[in-house]
Amino acid sequence: MKKVRVGAGSAYWGDMLDPAVELVEKGDINYIGFDHLAELTMAQLTRMKVRDPSRGYIPDIVPWMRAILPTCREKGIKVISNGGGANPEAAGEAVVNLAKELGLTGLKIGVIIGDEITRERLGELIAKGIKFKNLDTGEEDISVISDRIVAANVYIGCDRIIEALEEEADAVIAGRVSDNALYVGPLMHEFGWKFEKPYWGLIGAAVTIGHIIECAECCTGGMSNIWNIAPELWKVGFPIAEVDENGDAVLTKVPGSGGIVNEWTIKEHLVYEIHDPANYLMPDGIADFTKLKVEEIGKDRVKVTNMTGKHRPDTLKMGIGYEDGFIFENTVICPWPNAYEKARKAEEILRERLKMVKLDADELRIDYLGINTMLGSTAAPLPPDYEPNEVGLRVAVKAKKREEAVKVRREITHLWTLAGLGAHMGVPPDPRPVISLWHTLIPREEVPTRCIIREVK
Amino acid sequence: MAKKVQLRELAYARSGDKGDISDIGLMAFNKENYEILKKQVTVERVKAHFGDMVKGEVKIYEMPNINALEIVMYQALGGGAPRTLRYDQTGKSMGNALMRMEVEVE
Repeated sequence: MKKVRVGAGSAYWGDMLDPAVELVEKGDINYIGFDHLAELTMAQLTRMKVRDPSRGYIPDIVPWMRAILPTCREKGIKVISNGGGANPEAAGEAVVNLAKELGLTGLKIGVIIGDEITRERLGELIAKGIKFKNLDTGEEDISVISDRIVAANVYIGCDRIIEALEEEADAVIAGRVSDNALYVGPLMHEFGWKFEKPYWGLIGAAVTIGHIIECAECCTGGMSNIWNIAPELWKVGFPIAEVDENGDAVLTKVPGSGGIVNEWTIKEHLVYEIHDPANYLMPDGIADFTKLKVEEIGKDRVKVTNMTGKHRPDTLKMGIGYEDGFIFENTVICPWPNAYEKARKAEEILRERLKMVKLDADELRIDYLGINTMLGSTAAPLPPDYEPNEVGLRVAVKAKKREEAVKVRREITHLWTLAGLGAHMGVPPDPRPVISLWHTLIPREEVPTRCIIREVK
Repeated sequence: MAKKVQLRELAYARSGDKGDISDIGLMAFNKENYEILKKQVTVERVKAHFGDMVKGEVKIYEMPNINALEIVMYQALGGGAPRTLRYDQTGKSMGNALMRMEVEVE
């Protein structure tokens, strides 16, 4: 039976490079996927592109490709990346130039465009009568943000990745393709699966496999309940999915690498950020995680079988980034003795000062670091004689206007002298501009995409 | 006789986000524990446990094949990662926060 081995080379912008190099050198893989994009990244990259049209992609793509492309070519490993970000064409250009420099003549790079919806196009679609209802809040009227929109990008599927591979691309550079499509694309291409009725179950398997590995180290011992037994996480191995043409898969990692692949690391990722497990919606298919079987078959080897799914959705998810005010935050640390009492007094002083300067904020939040910052109202009540060594007073504010956030920055500074003896804080940072996200759906047919093949001369 | 135990005795949990939605995957150590969770980790109890931290509705999906529950909590992350004032912007600690809930075991 034909088998394909795909590896995950990155979970986020800034992830480790060495496990990706290890995968191409020792992983015996056919494909490596690189996910560099988080929800907010597209808006940040779009801003870079507006300032300089030659930028707007993940800058890491160049050093990353430098580290792996020669080995990938030698071993015939194909690279699929969404590091093109807001400017896949410029990223493609940069990778073509790099490949020239490395002497990789004849290398083919597929560049995928079309995930960006410009403000003009968005306006046309609204004029056409398409409602861009907010999936988080249920708000129907997008006009409340229309003059503040920074960028809109659609999570596209793997159609053009398959096209690029059919054109024999060695590397594929895309923008906002879904993380999942980086893995579904190669599997559909290799096994000849089409977006047609007989294949929906198999595509569901590919979507499931993509989901398991797309956050790289998060299924090999990272972000784990078994963090205390996962060995040598400083040299964690990234995951490899060994996929059969019948849609079954074995999850593993490079022998000798750190981390662990077992029943729990795979289950942890199966349940991760999925909403309805019987209907895991991705652009290429809807996977059903409620029938599959997970079985440990050896050291760092877990077999997943009976994966299935159904027809891909007719709409695609779109994230619209818009300017949404400013956030300021800082923490004052109060030391023993009476650390908690000092922090509470500091809160009272700050709140009174903020009244005096007539703060106009959307929201002010105060947490007690060491007491309830993470667990909120679920934190255990403090024992009556509890005397912590230190307690932090964390102050965060969100305001429409920058100058209101600056007021809190100015007033928290006074706690250096007004809070109880011994309190200290780091230099308060400047308020940061907020780009919020309006998540919505767009009909698939309104998002034409294209693949451009570049050959290294 | 029934006694009360914290969920940490019966299951693992991992949480994450999509927008303002917090998802907790609660993975029982075995089938027996899963049956306990299925009966006792209800929408009402999860809402009561999180109190004002979760402003929207709660849905719970069953995954009997891996002895897990998927708990989906709306309006739970202060508006979502980009704009929230929560220190834990993506709700990675919401799973930990659930572990203190108590259920009855025989």
